[in-house]
Amino acid sequence: MKIGMNHGAGGEVMGDLISQTVLNNVTKKIVNGGIGLDSLDDSATIPVGDKEIVITTDGHTINPLFFPGGDIGRISAAGTINDISVMGAKPLAITNAMIIQEGFNIDDLDRIMKSMDETCRECDVGIIAGDTKVMEQGKIDKMVIVTTGIGIVDKGKAIRDSTLNVGDKIIISGSVGDHGMSLMSFREGFGFDTDLVSDVAPVYEIVEAALSVGGVTAMKDPTRGGLANSINEMAKKSNVGVLLEDDAIPVKKQVHAVSEMLGIDPYEVANEGKVLMGVKNKNASEVLKAIKNTKYGKEAAIIGEVTEGNRVLMETPIGGTRILEAPVADPVPRVC
Amino acid sequence: METAKILVQGIVQGVGFRPNVYRIAIKHDINGYVRNLGNVVEIIAQSHDYNDIEKFISEIEVKKPPVSIINSIEYSFFESNASFSEFKILESSNSFSGTSVIPPDIAVCENCLKEMRNPKDRRFNHPFIACTDCGPRFTLIDSIPYDRNRTSMDEFPLCNECMEEYTNPLDRRYHAEASCCNTCGPSLQLLNKDGVDISFKHTNLIKKAGELLNESNILAIKGIGGTHLVSKVSDDDTVSILRKRLTRENQAFACMVKDIESALEFCEINSYENEALIAKERPIVVLKKNSNYNLSKEVSPLLHNIGVILPYSPIHHLLFDYINDPALIMTSANIPGEPMMIDNKDIVNNLSKIADYFLLHNRKIINRCDDSVIRFVDDKASFIRRSRGYAPAPYNLNEYDKFKSILHKNHNILALGPELDLTFTILKNKMAYVSQHIGNTNKFKTYEFLQDAIKHLMKITSTNSFDLVACDLHPQFFSTQLAKEISNKFQADLIPVQHHHAHGAVLAVDNNIDELIVIAADGVGYGDDGTAWGGEILYSDIESYERMASLLPQKLPGGDLSTKYPVRVMTSLLYSKFEKNELKDILNKHYIDYFKHGAMEIDLVFKQMESNLNTAITTSAGRVLDSISVALGVCHERTYEGEASMKLESFAYRSNNDKLKIAPEFIEIDGLLRLDTSQILYDTLDLVKRGENKKDIAKAAQDSVAIGLAKMALIAANKKDVNVVGATGGVFYNEAISKKVKETVERDGFKFVSHRNSCAGDGSVSLGQAIVASFKL
Ligand SMILES: [Fe+3]
Ligand SMILES: [Mg+2]
Ligand SMILES: [Zn+2]
Ligand SMILES: [Zn+2]
Repeated sequence: MKIGMNHGAGGEVMGDLISQTVLNNVTKKIVNGGIGLDSLDDSATIPVGDKEIVITTDGHTINPLFFPGGDIGRISAAGTINDISVMGAKPLAITNAMIIQEGFNIDDLDRIMKSMDETCRECDVGIIAGDTKVMEQGKIDKMVIVTTGIGIVDKGKAIRDSTLNVGDKIIISGSVGDHGMSLMSFREGFGFDTDLVSDVAPVYEIVEAALSVGGVTAMKDPTRGGLANSINEMAKKSNVGVLLEDDAIPVKKQVHAVSEMLGIDPYEVANEGKVLMGVKNKNASEVLKAIKNTKYGKEAAIIGEVTEGNRVLMETPIGGTRILEAPVADPVPRVC
Repeated sequence: METAKILVQGIVQGVGFRPNVYRIAIKHDINGYVRNLGNVVEIIAQSHDYNDIEKFISEIEVKKPPVSIINSIEYSFFESNASFSEFKILESSNSFSGTSVIPPDIAVCENCLKEMRNPKDRRFNHPFIACTDCGPRFTLIDSIPYDRNRTSMDEFPLCNECMEEYTNPLDRRYHAEASCCNTCGPSLQLLNKDGVDISFKHTNLIKKAGELLNESNILAIKGIGGTHLVSKVSDDDTVSILRKRLTRENQAFACMVKDIESALEFCEINSYENEALIAKERPIVVLKKNSNYNLSKEVSPLLHNIGVILPYSPIHHLLFDYINDPALIMTSANIPGEPMMIDNKDIVNNLSKIADYFLLHNRKIINRCDDSVIRFVDDKASFIRRSRGYAPAPYNLNEYDKFKSILHKNHNILALGPELDLTFTILKNKMAYVSQHIGNTNKFKTYEFLQDAIKHLMKITSTNSFDLVACDLHPQFFSTQLAKEISNKFQADLIPVQHHHAHGAVLAVDNNIDELIVIAADGVGYGDDGTAWGGEILYSDIESYERMASLLPQKLPGGDLSTKYPVRVMTSLLYSKFEKNELKDILNKHYIDYFKHGAMEIDLVFKQMESNLNTAITTSAGRVLDSISVALGVCHERTYEGEASMKLESFAYRSNNDKLKIAPEFIEIDGLLRLDTSQILYDTLDLVKRGENKKDIAKAAQDSVAIGLAKMALIAANKKDVNVVGATGGVFYNEAISKKVKETVERDGFKFVSHRNSCAGDGSVSLGQAIVASFKL
């Protein structure tokens, strides 16, 4: 069989590819008893002394390279910084490997590097190693950036995405769907003259604020597949149910409008500057308050709670409770 | 001495069959016994006179109890050593392994009503009166054999007088499991909206309920298989308040009338419909409004018909004594898409913002069962929903020729249906038990109800495991996911069945034919090419199918969004027929109000058409009818299933001439003949532009779709050399389309078949899946 686009789209097809072809071929997947490859968590860890090194890596392709609210440089930095952050770890540095197409404009590369640097500086992260390769025209589309993030956390303190407990509140650090919806509109030339922009940003400040209050039980950054995908993954890995309240989930008016015109669910598209977390009931309002005091967390909200069961449910203001599923790559109409 | 052994098969348990045999035996001086052996009743009859036994046997058949169904009577005379001195009803044998057939719920019978109305009778005004000939059954039963201690009547021990009747084989209430009286039966309660019991304030709760309704209150009334929301029908404000509270903007409400005469005040009723209305199954019958129709316009907005039902619970009969209006709205008490509420606590908690008062009772509803709905299409009964009164009476597949070849195979099959309007089916011993209406399984409570209902039906049919689990081909349906789980659990094979193949299989079996050309026209069914089918011409021999033709594949800009806003589908259909700017101008000039986000949305839909961003492909006939509906300004937003096309039908119904014609045109794409639905829309718009009467245009456009489908079917029939063409799918609830297809098919000398004892819509898809799967063993 050959790789199709849906092998990279999240969902069942990609899951099968990863477990059968990737995980099956790797022998040593855990080092020093840390969090390893099989967990498929946001990052892995290697315990060293009384600390754990937290590490993650991510390849970034995006079309277009420059979009409202960001560019490939910012997203490449924020992507790994955020995967480190949602482990509850302090991100320290990233490495940066760039594969660039022959003929690429150096001014553009300059902008991309400046943007990457600026993003790292926001949370005092260094760019400490890198690699640059050039490929001939037609072999690659513009550029691919691979970043690796390194962070640190006290031993045993890493926060997983699989540790929700019944009774926890679910908090989202801000409005959902901004990145996916703005990019889609921009890319398709839908030319809205609105302030609809990507939310791409490093979330460490948010995580730091939440952890300083305490009671955070699980975290994830709801990137590909959006809120719907991440919350389902967290619930499934934690073996719990989740009940979300539709009305409580922040969605920007413009995002809502675009979703109503394209028929695309804002819960199913990527976010690049958000944190989704479970927080102990008694700490939830404190944590929320702390997040709301951060630069990117002003619209944070408690959007639901962890329940018994094994389904993510969404309570809608009219029409009862529906099942919220992880999105699939190509939805086929189901309404008769 | 002559001795005969008689075996009777069918619905012969819990319907007073054995006492009936007993009475006939006494009458003819027959000795011996009768006993239950599962779904077979065994009778030993002994007499001096051979002729008496013959008479006895023929009377068993002729004078069977009204609720029973005899599938077969076999008998043989034999030399018996035993000599019987009397006729006895023996206890049910526990050793039987056969499938017990549970009869459905039956409307209260005439005998019971007479007693209920007789001030001297001890059951005068008893709201739960029942006998062996009537009353709830399926809704009360927990497990089999069907005996009172396995029903929710167990909580109401019989008083002495009732017990006497219950144990006397000559009494109408011999083993009537729902029997009770004012002394020993369940009781009513009246609660205010805060759930406070106010029963003590009133001597006659039903009278009080009637008065409250007359005073424009909305009541939740718990009945047989669920709970209704009830209000008067004469007053716009009351009905609007009910709509608002239910967030049910437009969908028609069914009404209950006291009797046929009351219904005749506002409906046309032909003899078939009359018969259905008074049938013991007591379904809702969709009737045409007559010229005197004067119920509030909010009851059944913009439709030419209305669902009407006659009382079936004693409570209903008593209630109408106090009602001033010609009818009452009787609509299921549920959140849209969720199951009807059956538990007193749930009812009060969840309806506190909807109902002003609650008339409840303390008998548990074990199996929730919605009212059934029938519509007569071209004078043929057509099930829209087959539930209370019918479920779970099985389809006996042994009766169908096609199954003779696989009779030796005897496996248990579970079929899980599609997603909306779901039922499931358990097929066991060639008997297909189709469940009651379950609903929309993407609602969690409905999904849970589905799982509960499966457990219950397994219990009632004594099914412990499955060999095969069938489901829809749609990978995202919740029923498909559940099918996977269940098939894993029982290590059963999973058989995904294409949606319209299942539709067609039901149609074929329902008409006992082995091969046919199927016209399947509905909203959406996942096709074997991954697109959304819904306007298909299939050749089918039940086991398999071949796609022969379809409507033109069209894009759905925004996927399911365009089902909600049909103007988006209309834009898509017209996209290829116009120069881009010309079409944009038309849309901006005449249709802009139908786009929620105005001109910007029009631009976006055009861009989606170009970029293919979220534009699923469909051949759905439902979507085409929706777009004709919006093109004529009839309906631009779907707030309930089928709204746009139902309103189109009602609109076209008012056309009184045949002068406009839209000739269907065909194109071949990917080797299949396709009806050019874009051209139909284009011609529709063209007729509008020429100032023709829109009702006439609606009729012409509807006809064009019908004739187009029929013609493609005829071409397929000739190609495959078959002489039967059948129609299935929700589109065929549309009477005009059904008639036109039939007429076109028959004019060419082909036989036309439609559904008889099954649903054209998705309610029978699980049955079709089970049928198809049974050939896969
Ligand atoms: Fe269907
Ligand atoms: Mg991540
Ligand atoms: Zn009766
Ligand atoms: Zn009694």
